[in-house]
Amino acid sequence: MTRATESRLGGHASTIERTGDSLPYGDERHLTAHRWLVDEAYLLDAQDYDAWLALVTDDVHYLMPVRVTTARAAGYDVSPGMAHFDENRYSLSRRVARFQTEHAWTEDPPSRLRHHITNVRTFATPDPDHLVADSAVLLYRSRGDVREPALISAGREDLLRRQDGRWLLARRRILVDDAVLRTQNLAIFL
Amino acid sequence: MQLPFDAAAVRRGMIPAHIYNDAEVFALERERLFSRAWVFVGHVSEIPDPGDYVVRQVLADSFIVARGEDGEVRAMFNMCLHRGMQVCRAEMGNASHFRCPYHGWSYRNDGRLAGLPFHRDAYGGEEGFPRQGRTLLPAPALDTYNGLIFISLDEDAPPLRAYLGDFAFYLDYYTRQSPTGIELSGPQRWRIKANWKIGAENFAGDMYHTPHTHTSVVEIGLFREPKAEKRKDGATYWAGNGGGTTYKLPPGSLEERLSHVGYPDPMIETMKKTWSRGQLDVVGRDGFMVSAASLFPNLSLVHNWPRVEESDDVLPFISIRTWQPIGPDETEVLSWFAVDAGAPEDFKALSYKAYLMCFGSTGMFEQDDVENWVSLTHTAGGSMARRLQLNSRMGLRPDDTPLVPALPPEEFAGPGEARVGYGEYNQRHLLNRWLDHLEREVSA
Ligand code: FES
Ligand SMILES: [Fe+2]
Repeated sequence: MTRATESRLGGHASTIERTGDSLPYGDERHLTAHRWLVDEAYLLDAQDYDAWLALVTDDVHYLMPVRVTTARAAGYDVSPGMAHFDENRYSLSRRVARFQTEHAWTEDPPSRLRHHITNVRTFATPDPDHLVADSAVLLYRSRGDVREPALISAGREDLLRRQDGRWLLARRRILVDDAVLRTQNLAIFL
Repeated sequence: MQLPFDAAAVRRGMIPAHIYNDAEVFALERERLFSRAWVFVGHVSEIPDPGDYVVRQVLADSFIVARGEDGEVRAMFNMCLHRGMQVCRAEMGNASHFRCPYHGWSYRNDGRLAGLPFHRDAYGGEEGFPRQGRTLLPAPALDTYNGLIFISLDEDAPPLRAYLGDFAFYLDYYTRQSPTGIELSGPQRWRIKANWKIGAENFAGDMYHTPHTHTSVVEIGLFREPKAEKRKDGATYWAGNGGGTTYKLPPGSLEERLSHVGYPDPMIETMKKTWSRGQLDVVGRDGFMVSAASLFPNLSLVHNWPRVEESDDVLPFISIRTWQPIGPDETEVLSWFAVDAGAPEDFKALSYKAYLMCFGSTGMFEQDDVENWVSLTHTAGGSMARRLQLNSRMGLRPDDTPLVPALPPEEFAGPGEARVGYGEYNQRHLLNRWLDHLEREVSA
């Protein structure tokens, strides 16, 4: 399934794709991407969203399609034309701004979050200032004292871009592993 | 049978708190309410072509909602006639036949039994076991309005149009902005640890929660109006089997008011040709624009118009959702994005963006709503909740007379009863209908 049919709002996004096999683990570029993802996970755990927003490009596209259960032969397993997130910088910035108000009740008291990041692999692209990184994320989200915690498992494909010497997130596609989410909302980022 | 709560109190607007988390009440809802009411399962635009299907639930019952080769939309109980396996285990797709994975009986997409393996050897062929006349169990009743597909488990259910009653007048604002009607995308599906009635009541009439629960979305400039207090200038209405909330629009003509909420001129022209005089007057003459609404028992709708870009312009979106009961303390939300099928493509894209920002699994409104409802449901499950009657009497004086009069026809052209300002009229209407069902025993 092509990216264009998965997103209704990603027309502005960079279309750079991976080339070749994954980079060896000792490769400087892989180490850079890996470190970036781990550092980001700590920001998301801490809900330090200002710092997180500073790590995304102006043309960012942040997409999380809705997964559906379909027959193997159907040839698709994401909902046509529907996503959980289909964000650009403006909508991400509104979400971040909302968490910064004193009235975002859903996260006050805040959830305890732990983003477990694993299975990281990195790919070169035709442009040395762009890397593609795949990763798996398992988010543990605990609210209140004894409520059942929520788990969200997803795969991610990120496009990282080097801009003024810093690496930024230019594109993220989150392939969540549930068709029916078992969490009260997505007042979190993956 | 004595109901396991104080029914007279419900009629007075005093709601026994435990009805929001009580296994006994939930069993009654299954037996007496969801066994009879019309339940929304989808829209014809989700299955446009022959063979298209979606699988949807009415409580625990799974139905394949499919368009047959003849173009007809049907709902078939998703259980094999042979030994009861689920015939279809995908939630959407296109198929000419459904083949049961257990022993391989196959059914056409209109439900007719098409083939059985070893028909001759095992059953004596057509003579021994005729396929003729055997179909997957059809939903006892199915009907549509503006392409919205409803199922009732009661074959004697009243016609859907009669069930909707005057609520159809308001349903048109969401689902018939042009003769073509809407197209749906989605649904997003997620489960919340909350009782299904809470969302239905909230969408039906809770304008009172907006200024407080949704302060944050106003603070971040998602809305043009600087204050959520504006809500109290709107009216709530109840008509037929549903009710909803409205916003008061600034003075202006019909066209100015529709364009104020972000509709482009061609859509306005179409609405003018599609809606009745009364429907146009509610907006153009009286200045009320529909917002959230609920149709009893568990269908809700919402229409709002946030900013979707760094500009002063706003853009309207429509969402349709069901609160599908899973248990006394759990609900699956199915939330669709709806848009007029004839709308310009760029409008559709931005309207979709508006939806994602406001409602659904990631919506900034919805996030804070659900936090409240989960917490309420949790607390309603304890023993103290059995001693507490929640106050749902807003808008009523101690002698049960209303605080504000209903709007006269000169000020509100819509049917039913409408009142300006905060009140819990609609929540009471909804729970009264709920009680009507629970009090009516199912005849054996
Ligand atoms: S249960 Fe379906 S074929 Fe036997
Ligand atoms: Fe709300």
